[in-house]
Amino acid sequence: MKHFFTSACVGLVSLAAAHAVEVGKPAPDFKAKNVKGETVSLSDYKGKIVVLEWNNFECPFVRKHYGSGNMQKLQETYTGKGVIWLTVNSSAAGKQGNLGDAAADKVSKEGSKATAYLLDSDGAVGKAYGAKVTPHMFVINKDGNLIYDGAIDSMNTPKPEDIAKSENYVVKAVDAALEGKPVATGKTQPYGCGVKY
Amino acid sequence: MKFLLTLASLVAAVSASAAVRSGHATAEWVAASSTYQPSKPLLAAIRLSVDPGWHTYWVNPGESGMTPGIQWTLPAGWTAGPVGWPVPVRFETSGLAGFGYVGEVFLPVMLTPPAGASGPVTLEAKVNWLTCSDDACVPGEGALKLELKPGTPVATAFEPMLAKVAAALPKPVEGLSLEVKDDGKKLGLSLRSPAGTDPAAFEVFPATKQVLDSAAPIRFAKTGETWSVSVPKSEYLEGEPELLELVLTGGGLPHPATVVWKK
Repeated sequence: MKHFFTSACVGLVSLAAAHAVEVGKPAPDFKAKNVKGETVSLSDYKGKIVVLEWNNFECPFVRKHYGSGNMQKLQETYTGKGVIWLTVNSSAAGKQGNLGDAAADKVSKEGSKATAYLLDSDGAVGKAYGAKVTPHMFVINKDGNLIYDGAIDSMNTPKPEDIAKSENYVVKAVDAALEGKPVATGKTQPYGCGVKY
Repeated sequence: MKFLLTLASLVAAVSASAAVRSGHATAEWVAASSTYQPSKPLLAAIRLSVDPGWHTYWVNPGESGMTPGIQWTLPAGWTAGPVGWPVPVRFETSGLAGFGYVGEVFLPVMLTPPAGASGPVTLEAKVNWLTCSDDACVPGEGALKLELKPGTPVATAFEPMLAKVAAALPKPVEGLSLEVKDDGKKLGLSLRSPAGTDPAAFEVFPATKQVLDSAAPIRFAKTGETWSVSVPKSEYLEGEPELLELVLTGGGLPHPATVVWKK
């Protein structure tokens, strides 16, 4: 833990991260390798609704959604409706959540139903989007604009039993995009563990 | 057989003591007295002892983290007052600004028995918290118990500590007031402070979530009659702010202070 001896400097960093992406503006393109070693770009999915999910399987807030099967169910439901779901892992080598050589195996064991699981160990994609925590969620509409940036749902706890009581903001945003309607809640404070850049 | 023994020792541990170890902390429910008197408020606290290298969170956890949660289950007619939040420390983990506690923290609460209370009682609380280090976060939870007997006060070993904790809780200070002006991307805070204090030396914490940028340092400077500072808004503030509570310490204040602005 670092105390704030250099608060001015930290302020600048956080300001830069805060303005990484903006709801209503075009989502920046990126490239990353999936667990099979293939290169995936956001621009591969032009004209589609895209969900970005930041992931670290060892984070208790991520466990809440994978251990309960909630995340896999959302992935299955929406990829079934033509939505592209990209899970991104920005844990640096040697940091918690970095999957090393075992990535493909681990992702399959977790039962991921995402379109692709992307390895971003240099943090380039995470920093471009200002991804702060796992799970931090983003939704991009068919026009390539960011329409949601924030928490998966309304209850900041690691308890799976709270999922049923929560309002799922990602569901609301993707459903609105599928129906061509505006998104009611475009930005919330994401909850979870800090991304291990 | 071994299983039965383990089970027996577990049951014994639960009924004998309220301390629960979970996540990277130990939680215990302590009180200033081992006895209660009908209608008389009794000072108690949830004690969280966090492992070295780990921290837990304040009522405003900052950019990540989680406020500890407490659910009381009290005998009929008993009430628990609001939980007190001691002055936190600022820290930064994974590049995110946070507010919370390292080491030991007592979250005080006043328990009030009803007028007709009698006999020994057991109070219960479900507590959950999040502990984080630079590298990981681990949640903890525990079902805590507090057993009290009726009678005149009998100070426990925690009584002096709880009195100190209660005295150091942020409280309003006469002559201290806050105004907030919306300046677009920033909020202009202006403070009136009683004679003998030096607001430039105050350490300032935003107790209200999602109003001020948690990472921004807050340092008041004198501008005429008042003291002011311009602070970036939280990126999660929607529309104009309606409420802001600050906690202030140091700078000649008689005790940690709380000051609230309402639109």
